[in-house]
Amino acid sequence: MLKLTNLAKYFGGVRAVDGLDMQINKGEIFGLIGPNGSGKSTTVNLICGVFPQTAGTIELDNVDLGRLAPHQRIEFGVSRTFQNIRLFGDLTVWQNLWVAWRDAPGHETSWLVNWFGSPADRRHEIQKLLEFSGLGDRADRPASSLSFGEQRRLELARAMASKPKLILLDEPAAGMNSEEVADLRNRILTMKNLGMTVLLVEHVMDLVMSVTDRITVLNFGKPIAEGTPLEIQNNEMVQEAYFGSAKNVEAGN
Amino acid sequence: MSLYVASTLTNVALISFLALSAYLVLVVGEVSFGQQAFFAIGAYVTATVTAIFGGHIILALFLSTIAGGLAALLLAALVIRLSGLYFAIASLCFAELLRLTLLRIRIPLEIDGRSTGMDGPEGFSNIRWIFENDFEVTDFLILTVVCLLALLLLLFYFERTTVMLRARLVGRDSLLAQSLGVRPDHYRMAFIGLSGMVAGFGGALFALFNTHIEPQMFGVMLGVHALAYTVIGGLGAPLGPLIGVGIDIGLLESIRALSEYRMIAFGGLVAVLLIIFPQGLLSPRAVNRLWGRIRRRDV
Repeated sequence: MLKLTNLAKYFGGVRAVDGLDMQINKGEIFGLIGPNGSGKSTTVNLICGVFPQTAGTIELDNVDLGRLAPHQRIEFGVSRTFQNIRLFGDLTVWQNLWVAWRDAPGHETSWLVNWFGSPADRRHEIQKLLEFSGLGDRADRPASSLSFGEQRRLELARAMASKPKLILLDEPAAGMNSEEVADLRNRILTMKNLGMTVLLVEHVMDLVMSVTDRITVLNFGKPIAEGTPLEIQNNEMVQEAYFGSAKNVEAGN
Repeated sequence: MSLYVASTLTNVALISFLALSAYLVLVVGEVSFGQQAFFAIGAYVTATVTAIFGGHIILALFLSTIAGGLAALLLAALVIRLSGLYFAIASLCFAELLRLTLLRIRIPLEIDGRSTGMDGPEGFSNIRWIFENDFEVTDFLILTVVCLLALLLLLFYFERTTVMLRARLVGRDSLLAQSLGVRPDHYRMAFIGLSGMVAGFGGALFALFNTHIEPQMFGVMLGVHALAYTVIGGLGAPLGPLIGVGIDIGLLESIRALSEYRMIAFGGLVAVLLIIFPQGLLSPRAVNRLWGRIRRRDV
């Protein structure tokens, strides 16, 4: 479904992503992990088109995303959350979802309704989304008044409001306690059940290992391993990237 | 109603159009110091249509609105890649360029023994539409207020639509707006264009009311005031700019003791208000909270 081929992004001399090959299948929960600065968020930004790639291609369902403007990628079914929560703080929870709403492909309403109307079925769907995120009673509160965990849930719901095929979660568990992580795990599994493909960029290993189908590990912008969570856990190179090699430890001592 | 009160109120209403046009630009996150340019274009178009060609007021208002909108679109198209400070400077340059051009254009005419037409710094005199149609000052006040109310109603309706909400997103966080599939450039263009239409319309009424216009009337200070009205009134609702105008012209100018020191008083007031209400009196947050109480859940 999503296919990255030899993807690269250089910021001046810094090779943030350097030759990334990755293929995510439809309906999969795919993990992208790696130490800080290994290029995970850059990969997400490249897929969304925040900045253009230096080299390589990004294909979604055999369409070259690199040719599409950022907003066209959303229309094509890519959606994301942000590493640092990004909501419209002074809009209400309801409005935050409303503006992100997209009609399902093939069921688009006319632009007139889209711009000026407030169709009942859309309200209904957004209400469902609110209940899914456990924010049903918060609908009319400004987003900035929510707790941290609630804001994360709202971001997740907003990412779903555009009915994406592919949803990119950029460290959704950052700053969460174990209870909230467990809750997030269920939500990600629900997304999968709803037919979305998920790319999960995450540092919280419990979550990644328990929820993903496959994982790619990045280090210095290069993929160093790919496989099932179990394979990754037992991969020496990965352990080395995260914890340093036994040799280095000895040398350090 | 005394003549003085009526004409002060008319001025409040006229400047409100300009303030509302600055408001529309601020909504999409740009600061324009050049709205007076579209106001001037509206004024000169209406002056030309009514005084030279004897055109109907409806036609004059219509053409002024279109001309203001087109000029704003032109500015937007030229500088759409600029934002923030650069857009502010570009809009200021645009307005000054227009004003200096108007100072240079001299096509004096004589119609029915009265001098009229564009005459550089002497201005455009004898825009006699209100005399020819026996409009008293109060009549014109009513006309202006009705137009303003109509515009406000339109904007109030507009305010609760998805398109306005999305425009506000562009103004607040354009990267985030983009990642939700909203095209910031399109919204900026459209709203700057709309702002030009509103200013053009206001300028048209301004020309009819003053019967004489000259380039100096459309200087930088006019634009700065229009902006200040919105900033102190707040960006939350179209009433914000009106409150700003009311405070400046309605309150300060009408207190005669203050009128000489109006600029100083107004400057001080802006400073004090912004310290107490950094987001303006009607901030988006305050308005949203109010709306939440009044009417649950529309958009």
